[in-house]
Amino acid sequence: MSNATNLDGAITLITGAGRGIGFGIAEVLSERGSVIAISDLDADAAGTASDAINSTGGQAAAFQGDTTSQDSMDALAAAVLQEFGHIDILVCNAGVIGAPGYQDRTEHTEADWDATFGVNVKGLVHTTNSVTPHMCERNTGRVVNIASQAGRKPRGARIALGSVQSPYTVSKAAVIQWTHLLAVELAPHNITVNAVCPGVLWTPMWETIAENQKANNPELSELTSREIFDLSINERMPMGREQTPRDIGKAVAFLASDDASEITGQALNVNGGAVMN
Amino acid sequence: MPESSLGQLAGKVALVTGGARGIGLGIATVLVERGATVALCDLAQTACDKAVSDLGAAGHSVLGTVADVTSRDSMESAVANVNTTLGGIDILVANAGVWASEGYENRPEYNDADWDITHSVNVRGVVNATEAVIPYMKEHKRGKIVNIASHGGRKPRGTATGRTLGMPYSVSKAGVIQWTHLLAVELAPFNINVNAVCPGELWTSMIEGIFTNRQNLVGGGSGGSVRNEYDEFMQTTVPLGRGQTPRDIGKAVAFLASDDAAEITGQALNVNGGARMN
Repeated sequence: MSNATNLDGAITLITGAGRGIGFGIAEVLSERGSVIAISDLDADAAGTASDAINSTGGQAAAFQGDTTSQDSMDALAAAVLQEFGHIDILVCNAGVIGAPGYQDRTEHTEADWDATFGVNVKGLVHTTNSVTPHMCERNTGRVVNIASQAGRKPRGARIALGSVQSPYTVSKAAVIQWTHLLAVELAPHNITVNAVCPGVLWTPMWETIAENQKANNPELSELTSREIFDLSINERMPMGREQTPRDIGKAVAFLASDDASEITGQALNVNGGAVMN
Repeated sequence: MPESSLGQLAGKVALVTGGARGIGLGIATVLVERGATVALCDLAQTACDKAVSDLGAAGHSVLGTVADVTSRDSMESAVANVNTTLGGIDILVANAGVWASEGYENRPEYNDADWDITHSVNVRGVVNATEAVIPYMKEHKRGKIVNIASHGGRKPRGTATGRTLGMPYSVSKAGVIQWTHLLAVELAPFNINVNAVCPGELWTSMIEGIFTNRQNLVGGGSGGSVRNEYDEFMQTTVPLGRGQTPRDIGKAVAFLASDDAAEITGQALNVNGGARMN
């Protein structure tokens, strides 16, 4: 009987894997047999995540990396190659919702545009620049970018107050377009490039979004962050439930597996049907 | 036991329409390999018997049923047969489809019969199969429906061929994608996932007919066989430079039908080497 999404022995590098969605991806890929290089801006978070995987029978190592710096990503790729010899799967997950102080604003600032473009777009470009030449040399590889359903067309009803979320949304649309373009670019090297678009997950990022709504919407001021999150789930999700970091990890595992060898350039929503493509 | 060491679809019962040939047979084969109990239905008895016997020779027991997706009664009988024999239906793969009406190999333009047959098989056939399984799935508050659309149902890439034969097919497949979106919303409260897979151009009897039509009408690009022309077309128009196989489509169906995709609904996934992107 054959197994699903078997990743035995594959070496995976995940950015932003110290917490949230990135850690959920690391957990699932590890359970499917992959060895995980955990990169995070926060070295302590990377270390804790790596320890958690090693203590439950997986194999992982922690790396500090700043995706906004090409030099940092070059050093990261070199360190991972030195530790594990090669990289089969790259998961570009690191992302930000906005600049510091996001919780308190209803309108976007220059700093929000810079932060989201710097991390969510250029961060992927830097990481890709550092890792894909190695994949091209081996003529094999998988790239999975974490975008967001927010990068798809809006459904017409405004979700966030004001325009504070616009830079994030635009940056995630750019991740989807980058995925399309990179897929064409790398197809001759037998490298597939796809994106996963998560829906609504209870992560540190969504806590920030909830804090923003609580601070700016008088109707929500008495609610806890989690209650605001649950309200959003009930209003927006056809299946009526939230997604988890592990749900995102399962889709990444599929796209990184041999089962998906003919899938490239696609963006897959994992969002309980909240936005459809 | 970690999830990954279990058969992906162990203990599930799947029905694949048009499952005796081409893409449908590839899907049925992958699903049965992943641990599902598979029933396949097909319009043709001989094709049905051959598929059951070939899969049997490979060590897999499958149920073959003759059924016509264009008839609601026929689909209801087929589903009743599966329910009785296999004890329920967890997964429906609505795969049966047609390219055009008879004689298309020699026609450059569509005719009324092309619109009728693509609508009745590709759209209404999917609706009939779905409606036959919905009562069982709703009652049990779980189910997975995977519709086989086509990347032809996505937006065109801008290059007109000057020949309209494929339009009814493409319009019908866009209909399958939209049906997938709508049905997903309808069935979400019942914990039923509905998704579509959009194959690219696979070397099946359908594609052989399409490329025969192309060669008959405009001459072979390479002057070679129909198969050579297909290969050349794939190398020059598909980023990954190759055709997909029925098994490739089966693997995507297996994922969408598995617990790994519990939070995915209403989506259409292209399995086409990047030929069109969404």
